[in-house]
Amino acid sequence: MAFAAGVLDLGQHVAIATHLVGCPHCRAAARAMEHVGGAVLTGLPPAAMSSGARAAVEARLSELVPSSAATPARGAAGLADVPRLPHFVRGYPASPWKWIAPKVHLRLIALPVASATRVFLLKSRPGTKMIEHTHTGFEMSCVLSGSFVHAGGHFGPGDFDLGDGSVDHEVMIDSADDCICLVAMQGDLKLNGMIGRLLQPLIRM
Amino acid sequence: MLNETPNDATSDAVRWAALIEAIASRQDREAFATLFEYFAPRIKTFMRRSGASEQSADELAQETLLAVWSKARLFDPRSAGATAWIFTIARNLRIDALRREKRTGAVYTVEIDSEFHVDDGPQPDANLAMSQTESRVRNALAFLSEDQLQVIELSFFEVKTHAEIAQTLRIPLGTVKSRLRLAMKRLRGLLGDFS
Repeated sequence: MAFAAGVLDLGQHVAIATHLVGCPHCRAAARAMEHVGGAVLTGLPPAAMSSGARAAVEARLSELVPSSAATPARGAAGLADVPRLPHFVRGYPASPWKWIAPKVHLRLIALPVASATRVFLLKSRPGTKMIEHTHTGFEMSCVLSGSFVHAGGHFGPGDFDLGDGSVDHEVMIDSADDCICLVAMQGDLKLNGMIGRLLQPLIRM
Repeated sequence: MLNETPNDATSDAVRWAALIEAIASRQDREAFATLFEYFAPRIKTFMRRSGASEQSADELAQETLLAVWSKARLFDPRSAGATAWIFTIARNLRIDALRREKRTGAVYTVEIDSEFHVDDGPQPDANLAMSQTESRVRNALAFLSEDQLQVIELSFFEVKTHAEIAQTLRIPLGTVKSRLRLAMKRLRGLLGDFS
């Protein structure tokens, strides 16, 4: 609902939009929420417009060129070949793949406006076991290709996983190919155990 | 607030769609004036409740109606209800205004409309008359209790955390969460499973 209301910060909005690419059920739900928005709108008490408002608007009507269909987003080469991304995300600049941990690479996606939630692509090789961790904030993951599994379930292309401080899990990549996810995150990972504490300073997402 | 009969809701939805179509096909100024008189003041309230100043809200309401005029040809009555469509225009202009306000020094311009365009696939309910969907939603909202309606409305206006809603309404946080959960559950039940 927050997505349809347009109140999410851009990072979270991107994560939800990415999920919607592969989920007709949720797309229909989002559309229904827009209807709720319309109903909320028509139920609002009218606030008197300023005295010159209508005249000012009507004066501008003739100068307005009627829109034709929206032009597609500028395709930046960077994210063009990543599967299952929303059109508008493909236009965002992204860093090259950077190694952040054994078998794990990351591409930071540059959002056009400031957002408390940062967005990146995460690519993990088959058989990778992400060290047990929890979160100081939250992490939304949309699987773009491949799959992973943790105590909370199995996640394949199109699936959406939300992790926060209430989870404490070990994630394993169980697909035959690389698992690529779009991740939206606030806060940091908290790596557990002694090995976790040793590695923590080295892993910066 | 939402006390029309089901027939009212459907005929309203059809009426708005017809007015937009009149603008799209023949730049009908009277149709526009009717839309303006009804929607601009309500959009203004929406903007005020989202935190805009009196002047800002007035301007944003004007901008929304101007956008309705320019985009009338893009309105497809088969895939969007008229009030939902107008709501999304207002919503996107609000997001745009908020971002400009924050002056984050964005290095390239952003098409906010595109941020809500995620499907190129077939519309699941293309066969269902959109005006029916609109009135189904209106009727479903009418079945919510006042409390549930209130938390839904507040969720549309601004980024209020549950804690902030609790503070505004002066009710416990747990109550906010359970009201929202119940409201969403009822809406889902009343609207079928959206497909």
